[in-house]
Amino acid sequence: MSTQIGVLSVPAKRPASRVINLIQAWLPKLVLAPSLALVLVGVYGYMIWTAVLSFTNSSFMPSFRFVGFAQYARLIANDRWHTACINLVIFGVLFIGVCLALGIFLAIFLDQKIRQEGFIRTVYLYPMALSLIVTGTVWRWILNPGLGLEKLMHDWGWTSFHFDWLVRSHLSVYTLVIAAVWQSSGFVMALFLAGLRGIDPSIIKAARVDGARLPTIYLRIILPCMRPVFFSAIMILAHLSIKSFDLVKVMTAGGPGYSSDLPALFMYDMSFTRGQLGLGAASAIMMLGAILALLVPYLYSELRSKRHD
Amino acid sequence: MSRLELRAIRKTYGKAERETLKGIDIDINSGEFLILVGPSGCGKSTLMNAIAGLEDISQGAIVIDGTDVTTLEPRDRDIAMVFQSYALYPTMTVRENIAFGLRIRRQPKEEIDQEVQRVAKLLQIEPLLDRKPSQLSGGQQQRVAMGRALARRPKIYLFDEPLSNLDAKLRVEMRTEIKRLHRRLRTTIVYVTHDQIEAMTLADRIAVMKDGELQQLGTPKEVYETPANLFVASFIGSPAMNFIPVTVQKGDRGLHAMVKSDSGETIDLPLPLALSAYENKEIILGVRPEHITQIQAHKEGQPLVARGRLTIEVTEPTGPDVIALVNINGIPVHCRIDPDHPVDPGDVAELMFDMSKTSYFDPATEQRITL
Amino acid sequence: MTEMVRKPFSFNRVLIYTVLLTAAAVYLVPLVVMLLTSFKTLGDISSGNLMALPTHWTMHAWHKAWSTACTGVSCEGVHHFFWNSFKMAIPAVLISTGIGAFNGYVFSKWRFRGSDLIFSMMLFGCFIPFQVILLPMAATLGKMGLANTTAGLVVVHVTYGVAFTTLFFRNYYVGVPDALVKAARLDGAGFFTIFFRIMLPMSVPIFMVCIIWQFTQIWNDFLFGVVFASGDSQPITVGLNNLVNTGTGVKEYNVNMAAALIAALPTLVVYVLAGKYFIRGLTAGSVKG
Ligand SMILES: Nc1ncnc2c1ncn2[C@@H]1O[C@H](COP(=O)(O)OP(=O)(O)OP(=O)(O)O)[C@@H](O)[C@H]1O
Ligand SMILES: [Mg+2]
Repeated sequence: MSTQIGVLSVPAKRPASRVINLIQAWLPKLVLAPSLALVLVGVYGYMIWTAVLSFTNSSFMPSFRFVGFAQYARLIANDRWHTACINLVIFGVLFIGVCLALGIFLAIFLDQKIRQEGFIRTVYLYPMALSLIVTGTVWRWILNPGLGLEKLMHDWGWTSFHFDWLVRSHLSVYTLVIAAVWQSSGFVMALFLAGLRGIDPSIIKAARVDGARLPTIYLRIILPCMRPVFFSAIMILAHLSIKSFDLVKVMTAGGPGYSSDLPALFMYDMSFTRGQLGLGAASAIMMLGAILALLVPYLYSELRSKRHD
Repeated sequence: MSRLELRAIRKTYGKAERETLKGIDIDINSGEFLILVGPSGCGKSTLMNAIAGLEDISQGAIVIDGTDVTTLEPRDRDIAMVFQSYALYPTMTVRENIAFGLRIRRQPKEEIDQEVQRVAKLLQIEPLLDRKPSQLSGGQQQRVAMGRALARRPKIYLFDEPLSNLDAKLRVEMRTEIKRLHRRLRTTIVYVTHDQIEAMTLADRIAVMKDGELQQLGTPKEVYETPANLFVASFIGSPAMNFIPVTVQKGDRGLHAMVKSDSGETIDLPLPLALSAYENKEIILGVRPEHITQIQAHKEGQPLVARGRLTIEVTEPTGPDVIALVNINGIPVHCRIDPDHPVDPGDVAELMFDMSKTSYFDPATEQRITL
Repeated sequence: MTEMVRKPFSFNRVLIYTVLLTAAAVYLVPLVVMLLTSFKTLGDISSGNLMALPTHWTMHAWHKAWSTACTGVSCEGVHHFFWNSFKMAIPAVLISTGIGAFNGYVFSKWRFRGSDLIFSMMLFGCFIPFQVILLPMAATLGKMGLANTTAGLVVVHVTYGVAFTTLFFRNYYVGVPDALVKAARLDGAGFFTIFFRIMLPMSVPIFMVCIIWQFTQIWNDFLFGVVFASGDSQPITVGLNNLVNTGTGVKEYNVNMAAALIAALPTLVVYVLAGKYFIRGLTAGSVKG
């Protein structure tokens, strides 16, 4: 074909040698190999290792004297673990519930073509950029019984206001909820806002033509469309609460006593300050179990719905 | 000038239980323009990707100019491809897009520049060379995509629905342009399209595929006039060929078939003697709309011509013709009528059947009955 | 809704703005309290209230938090911790992002038999509670001589960050048409050429998202810092925690707040400058989890 146009020489083709082709074919796998190794060892290997530890009587140092389920039995009989689990349920339910309610509420309000939306969204979300240690530090100060919120309310004229949850053993866990909600509700708002924006506007138009009013449209049409957002928000928040460690460590350190303990703190204390490796490992495995109990049904339904598409 | 042979190509995707290509055999001559058509999902793109080396095939061989390239990497096959989505590199300018393949092949800079200029001139995109793809219209992007393919002067061009994202007018323009280019360059081209007119006007030969199988391979004329089976007959042509099941009968003047109009009148359709093997058996008549027309005086008296009175149900003026819908044996049948013989819905019109161009199909095998 | 735009002064409109702005004010309170308190003297703290302006603005608390406050046994402020966090975060972010980009590229454009399975296995790494890997990781770092070093922390953050970065890049690259890669392969480009010449130039946004996400995560991490580091390799979160929890006698809330702000500053700055990418990372990283 080059006869008709141009004088450009067509370079002689030099088919790459088989070796090069072979390397090319293996490149993707080679590139993945290090990460796969990291994950196999760092996630799966270590998970098994911890599981093994939880069946030994390891104390300060790992030992390999197997004691069956003895550590789990100790764990279940342990008062402090008991408190930690109950606290986790209280914390988790309140944290998830309030975050969802607040997040949806703010998202719907923000979805009304607000002029300063960008700015307001930025304000709602900035706590998410902070470390939980920072969050804990500041809320510990704000909720301080003497000089904090109580004093502020007194100064502003509400003299009967009384707030000392931080130091009341059956109430301190609620202060964790306050701080955690402040930190994460903006994030839930962002999730829902993104979900709202993803809804086909013609659905809303159709509903309006059908005569539905705005609250009805949200309740009956839009929120049901957001099922997946609900699910992922709940997943993430549940996940955050099971893993939550930083906040309780800095705000109450589990106190007073161990009244605001959480499993993550329990695990840390047992493993790294009390020298009860076996017990710590057992509690870690219990936490993993809790997350799997949430995750497996979630992933199952995700996969199934993907098949249906 | 390159000859492309596809030998019994089979392909099964990963875990899929069905074969996507079930033994495709096509020889494409050097300089030939082959058009691949078929319903969506029949494996056209898969076949193109296989030719390019972008997908491995499960069985068979791909031979270019006598060399088996089945196991070669795409870059060693010397093939260029134009994609439906154009696949222009978004971060590169038009110039860089066109030059990319040459750069990868380490050609000297002056030669690359020269080549870019040549291609740009050929496709009249010189003023666009320094723009990014996002700053181009659909038609311009399409040209750049072609330019990128042309720049390397590969042995074979593959076009996978290159015009389907353009509006109707541009599509016609580009179609002419591609035809002109092929005239000039005389390279081997394999081209996928869903557009009937594109297929008929561009192709040297058309390959009709269905469910991963080649149904017919022939010139546009062959495929149109002598479709190999019911599927090809119904797939090629718009409006589609009419299919009328009839029973072959022997009469005084040879073979014929009786059909009924909607009002119950019988119409006697003459059939060629070659169908005598099917006497008293059912066959399917395949009649193109243009062979059921208003009465044409010059055809009067020819052996395989018949007349019948039919009620016009719907008319669809297309400009050069009016497509009219009538009912024969309870089956809707399209006819093509000259707009100078106005017909209206509800009219009873006398129509002429030219049976000399009819195709006949065996209802059991759905294959063409060769006379 | 359009109807509301046409009637901008309706009662509903006012109500909506009131609610939104009140909520915004509430969200801002802790930040304001932090700032105000950090500029107060101890006297101001005990005489005033949370929202009262300092009678005497002073940087004293900031100085003390930075260089003399006690964090456990030593009393050198948090500046060491602050720099430690950078020394840990920068390499960890770069390495994990780089690996993630390649992984995402393979998982989206060079899939092979089993690659989806490997991807799912990696994803699972995003979900485990890290408590379950703490003990073995500590043992391994000890064996490798990386215990209590910044390098050790980098290894840990890379190991558990790669799942996220891979997810980011994979989801981004899935949106890049396959035809681009095919075209480039026909043009003769190989694995790395396609990555560096085609994919990378269009990956700027996802790099921003990923780097910001990883930086925030790693900077804010406390668990790994407190478990795997000690003394002179501890990150700022551990420093802050130590500072807050060491106080003997009178609690110096102004110093605590100044230290908290120091710990928060880098991520806040990133958030203010590149909030768009941060939010995108949050929603992308989690919705698709
Ligand atoms: N990567 C893949 N993995 C599994 N199956 C695939 C893959 N790509 C295509 N298929 C299947 O192979 C069949 C043929 O697909 P192909 O894209 O070749 O069709 P096509 O003829 O080009 O269709 P269209 O006209 O819509 O472009 C389809 O059933 C499709 O679902
Ligand atoms: Mg296709």
